[in-house]
This record gives sequence, C-alpha cells and structure tokens, in this order.
Amino acid sequence: MPYINYQNREITFKVVYYGPGMSGKTTNLLYIHSALSPDLKGELITLNTDEDRTLFFDFFPLHLGNIDGFNVKFNMYTVPGQVYYEASRKLILDGADGVVFVADSQPFRLEENIESYRLMEDNLRHYGYSTTQFPLVLQYNKRDCVNPLPVGILEEQLGTADIAVFEAQAMNGIGVLETIKELSRTIVMRFQL
Amino acid sequence: MKLTRFESQEIKETMDQLVIDSGAMSALLITKEGFNLQEAGNTGFLNTTALAALIAGMFTATKEVARMVGEAQFSILLQQGENRHIHISLIDESNMMVIIFEDYQKIGRVRLESRRSCARIQELMTDRKEEANASPSDSPKFKEYALNLIDRIFDK
Repeated sequence: MPYINYQNREITFKVVYYGPGMSGKTTNLLYIHSALSPDLKGELITLNTDEDRTLFFDFFPLHLGNIDGFNVKFNMYTVPGQVYYEASRKLILDGADGVVFVADSQPFRLEENIESYRLMEDNLRHYGYSTTQFPLVLQYNKRDCVNPLPVGILEEQLGTADIAVFEAQAMNGIGVLETIKELSRTIVMRFQL
Repeated sequence: MKLTRFESQEIKETMDQLVIDSGAMSALLITKEGFNLQEAGNTGFLNTTALAALIAGMFTATKEVARMVGEAQFSILLQQGENRHIHISLIDESNMMVIIFEDYQKIGRVRLESRRSCARIQELMTDRKEEANASPSDSPKFKEYALNLIDRIFDK
C-alpha cells in the first residue's frame, strides 16, 4: 500500500528487486539510475561488501512527476541475495507495492532461483500479501550466458503460469527498462485511492 | 498509510516545538517501511529520503539483535559522533522519531522532549481519520496520467 502524505501532497510507492545472490538486482538498479534524466532521480545509495555484494540494500527514489497536484515517487530497493541475509530481505519487503524477481539464467542456478522465490513468497505471506494478487514480474537475467535456462521452466516449477516474464541482460541494459515499466504499470493499475 | 492534512499540521507543530525545546538541529518522523512522514528544523543539509530508508533498515536490524538477546525490541537508539549525534526512538510499532543534535551535553533534554512529543504524536496518529476530499480527485484520471508518465520515462 503506497504512502500518501496529504500535507506535502506526495504519493510514494515501494518497489523491490528480489532474487538469489549475484543474479543482477543491483545491476538492474544501476542501469535504471544511469538511464534516467537527473530531474527524475535522487541519489543512489549502495551498501556493498568488498566482494561487490549488497550488504543491506541499494536504494534510490524515482520521481514520476506531478499528477493531479500530487508528487508521485517510486522508492526503488534491492535486497541482498545471499542466504545469510534473510533478515534484511524480509524487512525490506515490508510495505512493498511490487517486486521484480531477478532470476539467474545460468543452468546450474535453477535450484537457487527456486529457493529464493519460495523464500520471497513466504516473506510476502508474512506481511499479509497474496502472491497471486501481488504486483510481481519475473526477469530471466543473464540471457547471454552459455545454455541459458529455457524461459518457462521457472514458472512451471513454481506454479506461476500467469506471471509477466521478461528476458534481460542487465549488464548491457537489455530488458531492464521493459521490466520496470511493466511492474510500474501493474502497481499503478492496482492502486486504489 | 495516510495522514490527513489537519493531523499532519498538528504533528508538524509538535515537531517544531520539539526542535525548539530540545535545542536539536532537526527532527524527522519516519515509518518502519522507510518513508519520511514529516520533518522539522534544519533539514536542508540532509538527503531525508535516503536517511529515512537507511534508518528504517537500521532500526529493524536492531530489532532482530534485540530478539537475539531476549528483548522484544530496543526502544531507543543513540548514535554518538564527534560533532553530530542521532537519537532515534520508537513511537509505536510503525513509526519512529529521529532527532539530530550537536551539543551532546543536551542528551537528557533531547531524551525528555523526544518522549514528550512521541506521546503526543502517538495520540494524534491513533486518532487519525482520512480526509477524503484531499485525495487525488479522480482515480481513473490519476491512473491514466501515471501510466502516460511511466511510458514516457521508460520507452527509450
């Protein structure tokens, strides 16, 4: 549920990039941040370890614009992917209005993708969301890897046939904006005043 | 999460008074989801959006630490720097007050005034009602405009 501040006339949505470690969540965010004109974005905060892994989260606000007298923003977050940061992942999902699940297309990462998705579902349920009703987009990232996972295999194994799916190479910016555009549209479509 | 215009104004006045009475530089009211609800005092030097996101994360991480040592949560967090310090206190399950101050000698004052204003804000928030006529006037129109903006921004 977005946060609405009537005095400052602001509506803020929370978008979270979720997925297994090193699947490309931060790369997605970095590309979006670099592709936006300066007036549309705030400072990008990244909290990484020495190995380029997200320690806590990455974050930046995206200013959509003024609509009907309200300044509309999307606060964009990533979660840390590593298994041992489960507590951080859970807290960042709190209050989320939509999630991009970034899957790693490398074939040996199939199980990790599934495990991460299941954890995300558990966390969303913990906050009272129904994963079938919740704005959710699945991105198959790293499509340029050798023998990428076939699109459809995750949906089949996860039982999520209706989910919107995008193929991406976040390092090259391919499919990144299409993914966030779809999620943003879904969030706005489901927004009830 | 919605704040009405009236209640937001009362909260703002309470926070303005908090800054004056405690001698602090600034005060921010933030949610545990990382939203900045209200601010008072000098906040021009701060990226308040990012600060709210980071402090919310910090507080929830600390809650996990509290749980590990057998506490439900720590209700106050104090970050002491060389020149500037941050006092964070829980208002309720969802909101917290962040006070930034410079003179560490005034920590007692900050703590006292924080407790006083948090109690007042809790009353105001518990009692809040939505002010329907302040919402965006027309939901379909709002959605149409928002979708147009999204298309314009992401169609590169």
